[in-house]
Amino acid sequence: MDDPVAALISRCAAQDRAAFRALYSQTSAKLMGVLLRMLGQRAEAEDALQEVYTRVWLRAARFDPARGRGMTWLIAVARNHAIDRLRARPEDSSGTEALDLAADPAPRAETQLIARGEVRRISDCFATLEPARADALRGAYLQGLSYEALSARAGIPLNTMRSWLRRGLLRLKECLEQ
Amino acid sequence: MTDTPLPPHDEDDGLAGEYVLGSLPLSDRLAAEARARSDAGFAARIAAWEERLSPLNADYAEAPAPADLLAKVEARLFPSPPRRAGGWFGWALGGLAGAVAVLAFVALPLLQPGPEHLAHLASADGAIAYDATWAEGDLIVSRSAGSAAPPGQVHELWLIPPGGKPVSLGLLEAAPLTLPGPRPQAGWTLAITLEPAGGSPIDGPTGPLVMSAEIGA
Repeated sequence: MDDPVAALISRCAAQDRAAFRALYSQTSAKLMGVLLRMLGQRAEAEDALQEVYTRVWLRAARFDPARGRGMTWLIAVARNHAIDRLRARPEDSSGTEALDLAADPAPRAETQLIARGEVRRISDCFATLEPARADALRGAYLQGLSYEALSARAGIPLNTMRSWLRRGLLRLKECLEQ
Repeated sequence: MTDTPLPPHDEDDGLAGEYVLGSLPLSDRLAAEARARSDAGFAARIAAWEERLSPLNADYAEAPAPADLLAKVEARLFPSPPRRAGGWFGWALGGLAGAVAVLAFVALPLLQPGPEHLAHLASADGAIAYDATWAEGDLIVSRSAGSAAPPGQVHELWLIPPGGKPVSLGLLEAAPLTLPGPRPQAGWTLAITLEPAGGSPIDGPTGPLVMSAEIGA
């Protein structure tokens, strides 16, 4: 499959600095969007973005194009770093302040075109879940909300939330594989 | 939705899914990461979940990154080699001596590559960071952000081979720590723990892990 981002990551693994610049210019706005939404604060998101591109260069050799797309891998690096930061916060107040920033999902038109079919499919699958469970899954993925924050928000015990997420994920998987 | 116990196969897949979802408590999260490093099947489950949930990424709006950020990342990853003393002196001599000096000045950097960035280590909140560099046969670890360990404690540096036990490389204080070669191998881990003053009293770390990073290729 044609994946220009994956090609750039592979060139980074071969120490190609020009490819790193091209990768940065093509993907930094998306990763900044991810970090801003999850961390909620611009200064921290900028700091995290530096960290993320440092890791992307140093770990580029671990990217395996057979396992997934380049953009998916980059976003996973960014999300994992954001989650580490959120979990290390003293009170783990993850996501609560990010809610206001979260309201404007406006991906570029081309991204929308590529992703529209897949997005519709996952949306359809989310629609088969109970709304409160679907909401918890989205809150965890998009904002990095912890069990504590999710169970407080839904007004249910921690263990119940864990079971919601686990079963919700497996049900999504089943639905997507149909 | 019935809440009966999950079969073991689903248990692993559910754990990988939850890791990708990001909802695991920190200790479970670290355990899942450690397992993914040694268990290729589990790592593949994680990659599959990343791809499966990736349509949700369309929900992240783009936001411009600050203009100077790429330059900062490049400065960190690709430090410029230190200028060699003596090279310029040759210019002043003129004639043959000058030509020889110029040749040496040009050739030296080719023979001896500049410092190579091996790893960037940062605490989870980014407040403390160290960089490990390989330069002219030495491993140099210096603090690039934050301050030293609190009074009565010290940051201790460890080298961990894949699947092996941590080996102490020394204590990180105000001055950069310089250790003669060999170059640590790519894929090995550098880790920093908080230890009592003087370093860990036993053959291995006792204090909490402050940060770690894998050495680049």
